[in-house]
Amino acid sequence: MASNVKQYKAIGEELWKGRSEKINAELFALTYGALVVQLIQDYEDYDEVNKQLEKMGYNIGTRLIEDFLARSGMGRCSDFREVGEVIAKVGFKTFLNITPGVVHALPPSPTPNRQSNPTPSQPSFTLTLDENPLTEFVELPEDALEGGLWFSNVLCGVIRGALEMVQMQVQAEFVSDVLRGDESSEIRVKLVKYLEEEVPVGDD
Amino acid sequence: MTINSLHCICVYYQDWHRTRRPKPASEAGLLPAVSQAVSAAAAGDAAAAAHATASTFSSPRNTLQSTTGTVVAISNELPPPPPSTAGAGVGGLTSTGLAFDEEAKLVYGVVISLRNMVKKISGRDEQFTSYRTSAYRLHLFETLSGYKFVMLTDPRTENMRVQLRRIYEGPFLEFVVRNPLVKMDSREQGIDNENFRAALDRMVRGLPVYA
Repeated sequence: MASNVKQYKAIGEELWKGRSEKINAELFALTYGALVVQLIQDYEDYDEVNKQLEKMGYNIGTRLIEDFLARSGMGRCSDFREVGEVIAKVGFKTFLNITPGVVHALPPSPTPNRQSNPTPSQPSFTLTLDENPLTEFVELPEDALEGGLWFSNVLCGVIRGALEMVQMQVQAEFVSDVLRGDESSEIRVKLVKYLEEEVPVGDD
Repeated sequence: MTINSLHCICVYYQDWHRTRRPKPASEAGLLPAVSQAVSAAAAGDAAAAAHATASTFSSPRNTLQSTTGTVVAISNELPPPPPSTAGAGVGGLTSTGLAFDEEAKLVYGVVISLRNMVKKISGRDEQFTSYRTSAYRLHLFETLSGYKFVMLTDPRTENMRVQLRRIYEGPFLEFVVRNPLVKMDSREQGIDNENFRAALDRMVRGLPVYA
């Protein structure tokens, strides 16, 4: 398992270095900040802003996964644990050049019908972002703090969108955020179910 | 060649040396923006305005017919059913008698069934890559995200998976994934656009196996 982790780190590093189109990190952070500000002005409701960010992230994620799969050539992950490792070490590294820490929380005893069982025994993992390129210059004002804004919620959407395209339905949400005064920024990703492949509708 | 998406729908079609013209699809049988050549009423009337892509792109789908053996018929969705292909090899230009969308579904059905069979027999790791008949060879490249790239070629061609993969990483990524105007939600629209078609065309024509 440890060698896998090293492999993933190496792959991630290589992919990041091999990317020809990188943009300026400050430009990225400022653009994202402007986007969030605009959304706040338009919606004036922080919950709604969170939802919109997540939705935007979802759309980004559905396309990002193609880019990721094409360039990394990774195969299917054998279990949800591996999914978490790959996302953290290869995915985030490739696109944002950061490596969040991963903490897994698998259900105690995997039973055969675990996947169809919607009780709290769902596998999940938590990504801990030590550094977040989106929040380089950001400080949240009072009412954003009170309103419950998750500034980097777009990342949750990206994870959800990307995983949905590889047949996994997940719930991704922020648990804590440094901007809000918590100790660290954490995203919890919980597996809801594996999606079945679609079969074409018979038409005779 | 055809590209099928996650929702089992044909989203793209292009051919280079097809012996028989595919019949245009029946109305509403095919998503818009799959291919100029085979959409309904593609006989050059105003319906083509809905696509807004240059109508010159019907030319790749031209009448270069192959006499016995140099067919590089590349179709995506459905390989022409073998019995009629054998007849066409002698030089006939009769259409298959199937509307394009039917053809598309047939191809897709073949691909899906074979793939499921392979998976059941040998487990998740093996993948169905191609099959060959006396008249054509069908190559499949499938991505984890559910996109299926199908290509039909001459039976003597060697495996095109590498090329299909390069198509995925090249033109597809560049002009479809990165293009915000192309809706990747395949339920409503195919992914035909000029840049993609041109880049794909260039790439395929540059392949060594291209006759």
